[in-house]
Amino acid sequence: MANLNVTASVIISFAEELEDSSSTFYAALAEQFAESKEIFLNFAKECGKNKTSVVRTYQETISDALEAGFSFEGLNLKDYKTETTLAEDTSFSEALDIAIKLEENACKFYLDVAERSESLLATIPRAFSRVAKSRSNRKLKLETLLDESNS
Amino acid sequence: MAILEEPIKETLHLKNYIDGEWVDSEGELQDVINPAIRKVIAKVPISTRDELDEAVEAAKEAYPDWRRTPPLARARCLFRLKELMEENFEELSRIQTMEHGKTIDESRGETRRGIEMVEVATGIPSLMMGCNLEDIATGIDEYLIRQPLGVFGIIAPFNFPFMVPLWFAPFAVATGNCIVVKPSSEVPISQVRIVELADEAGIPPGVWNVVNGGRAVVSGMLDHPDIKGICFVGSTPVGRDVVYERCGATHKRVIAQCGAKNFALVMPDADLERTIAACMTSFYGNTGQRCLSNANLVVVGEGLSEREHDEFYKRVVDMFVDAASRISIGYGLDETIQMGPLRDESKKERVLGYIEKGIEEGAKLILDGREVKLAGDWPETCFLGPTVFEEVTLDMAIAKEEIFGPVANMMKARSLGEAIEMIHSNPFGNAASIFTASGRWAREFQYRVECGNIGINIGIAAPMAFFPFSGMKDSFFGTLHGQGQEAVRFFTESKVVIQRWF
Repeated sequence: MANLNVTASVIISFAEELEDSSSTFYAALAEQFAESKEIFLNFAKECGKNKTSVVRTYQETISDALEAGFSFEGLNLKDYKTETTLAEDTSFSEALDIAIKLEENACKFYLDVAERSESLLATIPRAFSRVAKSRSNRKLKLETLLDESNS
Repeated sequence: MAILEEPIKETLHLKNYIDGEWVDSEGELQDVINPAIRKVIAKVPISTRDELDEAVEAAKEAYPDWRRTPPLARARCLFRLKELMEENFEELSRIQTMEHGKTIDESRGETRRGIEMVEVATGIPSLMMGCNLEDIATGIDEYLIRQPLGVFGIIAPFNFPFMVPLWFAPFAVATGNCIVVKPSSEVPISQVRIVELADEAGIPPGVWNVVNGGRAVVSGMLDHPDIKGICFVGSTPVGRDVVYERCGATHKRVIAQCGAKNFALVMPDADLERTIAACMTSFYGNTGQRCLSNANLVVVGEGLSEREHDEFYKRVVDMFVDAASRISIGYGLDETIQMGPLRDESKKERVLGYIEKGIEEGAKLILDGREVKLAGDWPETCFLGPTVFEEVTLDMAIAKEEIFGPVANMMKARSLGEAIEMIHSNPFGNAASIFTASGRWAREFQYRVECGNIGINIGIAAPMAFFPFSGMKDSFFGTLHGQGQEAVRFFTESKVVIQRWF
């Protein structure tokens, strides 16, 4: 069942959690897989930037006159969650699979909320779309890494 | 969903801020109650007339120096205030939810709008410029200077505890005036917090004073010979019969922004999905406690047969009721909440009275907000759900009087012209909205409707900080409005100089 009461505030908190947990995940990957440490640390850093950008845009454009409480109705946030726990024996390719899934779900989340926030001020969907693009680029990078590791 | 952390942990004992000092009042203390959880969060003093006089004296003393402070230096104080507000954005927003009851999204929206006022006022070196013209006669030039007047009083309502005083305060201070703010005694915490930040921003003692209180302070402001003007936001009876009249008698400038009964028109070509979303915010946002809320929804049958009009009306009403009945109600610090409580029990009683009256007068209650389902285990004391009436006629009290609660009236009009006449039959003229895809209808609406703020596919026609917050008929008393350039003109005197050198 869809979450009926997804307000703008809920969306922003979800985005913050998503970026925080992604950052923690990539920091753990960097620790576990030294050969791609730099890539993962950059991803972790990017998560911080994404979070700042989304929160700042929301706080700078939210207005009591906009439909902030009603624009995201019907979204089920569980659909965008990814289990990112790493076991000690998780292989590099298994870890990449998890990361690809994480980026796919995150990208879908940002695209969906960008679409639904079109009636709000222009900067809000733009900020979401920008993060979606960055997540999508990451997915491509991860897929290339996976191909290389499998070959 | 978890409740966001509350910034007020213990009961605050509020003081007045006079001449840069926090001063205890001799007046009795009144409880400030969080309406959602029914907990006392502050004690506010009901200050005396003498305490107001001290604040006015401090403002008067501070005025000559502040007036001589270069506009750019005054603007820098406001830049710093804006930055401090940004740094404390979340705390300021949560305070509003705690003292007023509105949802956290609504509070953050209010904080943003308040900050925007400060932001616009930082442009004062340009906004306050006069003008000149050479050679009005041979060798003679003429120019206009804008000068501040002295001390202004700001009397705030309960529904926007953070934002409304900022419609005026930053512009008054930026133009070189000094102010005394009287917050609503029901929701005084935001204004106390703002003046703490104003102090931190380096605004000198005496320039921005806060005196908490009630009628004695208001009355004292209206009669005070050293107060040059009053900015008031509140009900029409008080604004018109007390504030406006007494300001006239005591030769003060006045902005009195008052009550409303706003209409929203839905035309047959409207994008209904987006219209209904906008209507939810408009009719039920802030639990209907805002002067820009729409209250009467008119489904217009322009160009439709009677049968088509009936079908269109039914579709709109069904969608409206469906959306309204799904609104989640509870404590605004729960992020999933879409509507908070009314500010206090007496306000709920008042709205309940109107619901009873509506039924007595023959309107049909199709969504009964008295049967409220709360998300969370909160006392029901101040909560009321979205309410919808149909078969409402213009002579009914629910259709013509300001209810200031979550009550919507469904009505019909055969044509746009008839709908506009319905709007004009009401004494208020604060705002009106039209939902349509037709530029022709929209233009006719904006051209003919006698309301100060017009929304075209906008449910809350709230002007930005750089436009005046307009209002007409029984919704506004005065000449110039708050916000933007009109506020700058209100807070300054135009002086004309005609110059010739021999």
